Amino acid sequence: MASISLKNVAVNFPIYGAGAASLKKTLAASVTGGRFGKETGVTVVQALSDINLELKSGDRLGLIGHNGAGKSTLLRTLAGVYEPSAGEFKREGTVSSLIDPSLGIEPDATGIENIMLRGLVMGLSKKEIDARIPEICEFSGLGQYVNMPVRTYSTGMMMRLAFSISTSVEADILLMDEWLSVGDADFTEKAEKRMREVVSKSGILVLASHSPALIAKECNMVVKLSHGRLEAAEISQIVDATELDDRP
Amino acid sequence: MSQIHSNLHRSPWADWWEGTRRTDIWWTLAWFDVVLRYRRSMLGPLWLTLSMGAMIGGMGPLYSSLFGTELSKFFPHLALGIIFWGFFSSVVTESCNAFVGSSNYLKQGYFPISLFVWRSIARNLIQFAHQIVLYIPVALWAGISLSWSAMLVIPAMAIAIVNAHALGLLLGLICTRFRDVTQIVNSVMQMLMFLTPVFWLPESLPDRAQYILWNPFAQMLDLLRTPLMGGVATVHSWLGIIGWTALALIGSAILFSRYRRRVVYWL
Repeated sequence: MASISLKNVAVNFPIYGAGAASLKKTLAASVTGGRFGKETGVTVVQALSDINLELKSGDRLGLIGHNGAGKSTLLRTLAGVYEPSAGEFKREGTVSSLIDPSLGIEPDATGIENIMLRGLVMGLSKKEIDARIPEICEFSGLGQYVNMPVRTYSTGMMMRLAFSISTSVEADILLMDEWLSVGDADFTEKAEKRMREVVSKSGILVLASHSPALIAKECNMVVKLSHGRLEAAEISQIVDATELDDRP
Repeated sequence: MSQIHSNLHRSPWADWWEGTRRTDIWWTLAWFDVVLRYRRSMLGPLWLTLSMGAMIGGMGPLYSSLFGTELSKFFPHLALGIIFWGFFSSVVTESCNAFVGSSNYLKQGYFPISLFVWRSIARNLIQFAHQIVLYIPVALWAGISLSWSAMLVIPAMAIAIVNAHALGLLLGLICTRFRDVTQIVNSVMQMLMFLTPVFWLPESLPDRAQYILWNPFAQMLDLLRTPLMGGVATVHSWLGIIGWTALALIGSAILFSRYRRRVVYWL
């Protein structure tokens, strides 16, 4: 049984850009007893705060929110990338994350080689991957391109490959950032079908998207992220809102 | 970071082992690192062998006449010196990049970070294997006879790998947090090349400069090079390296247990 539970979870990013990470300043601050402490005062971005969320098998959660609201950070936290700075995070079940399709893709390796690499990194053994390669190639619909270096692919082709690999592993929890729309109509349909299959096996889907239509179609619940906080939302509301927008 | 917020949290030891035991992942990643780097060249990784061969072949005769030593004695010393130094220096400088260079994986899911240190070490071992073969013709030409004591190179190599791993975790974490350290490490390694008997013979060192041989790289080089030249490394080197190894292990264990889950925030 898959489940996700977040209680008062916060994720804070220290931003060390623009010289703040320099050893010189940190040393100077420690030697001078913090008199120049302001210079090293690290900007902390509260990416997520006070997140409370309970998900169980069969839940298909849509995440909406403006750019920078924390959707990807929340997905990454669910994936286990960021250990929460505060609060409690519990997760049961295996995870397949499709947060950024180009992450972990080696551009100079061929499609087949990338299947091998990504499969291994996702925890499969070489044998298991070998057994799945024909099916993955078939699903991706890339044909002879699987033997070509991935740098020759278009964005859509790369997405097809990544999606095919990631969903070929049976996972209890599927985390997706919006990128289904990159594919052409045929593939999007195929992918949506595959996604429903995965979720119907008593799994959880968390889908971040800017498209209310997609969320209304794929999800049975929705939350809105705003400045790193969760706000309750209703699917009917967001769909109504877009219908109003679409009116001339 | 002492408070545990997540049921994904593993103990430092379990976390380290989780990354270490998946040899298939890190060997494959390392292998692809090497293969992909040379994918579009005709000779491929053989370039590693060729360029090292050119360097040794070019420097050997020159330096042997500069130092006034016999070529058959000096050439094996120099060949092993340059090959091992190349290995040391790329292990150290690339460990600074172990996590930054693997951020595409680290940002995708929950990975034990030791995996990526092993990746970097494995990559360097593969490169080293392409270069150490050059020593075979050199040794044959110089007529070096090996005794059973040459087997001591095996424990020495094991110690080198333990140190590489400890330093990899240590420098990997520090350099991800403080990006300047990468530059510092690069320039220190350049300087150390001259403070280590890579080119010169340790016998030619005057007494008052003997302290230079306390440098861990000089000791490690002694442990690895001397057995392959038919000699036996000094006890001083063995003791010294055991001390350095202990230090590296303690330092890396402290940083690893504290900051291993923090590293993603610094990427």
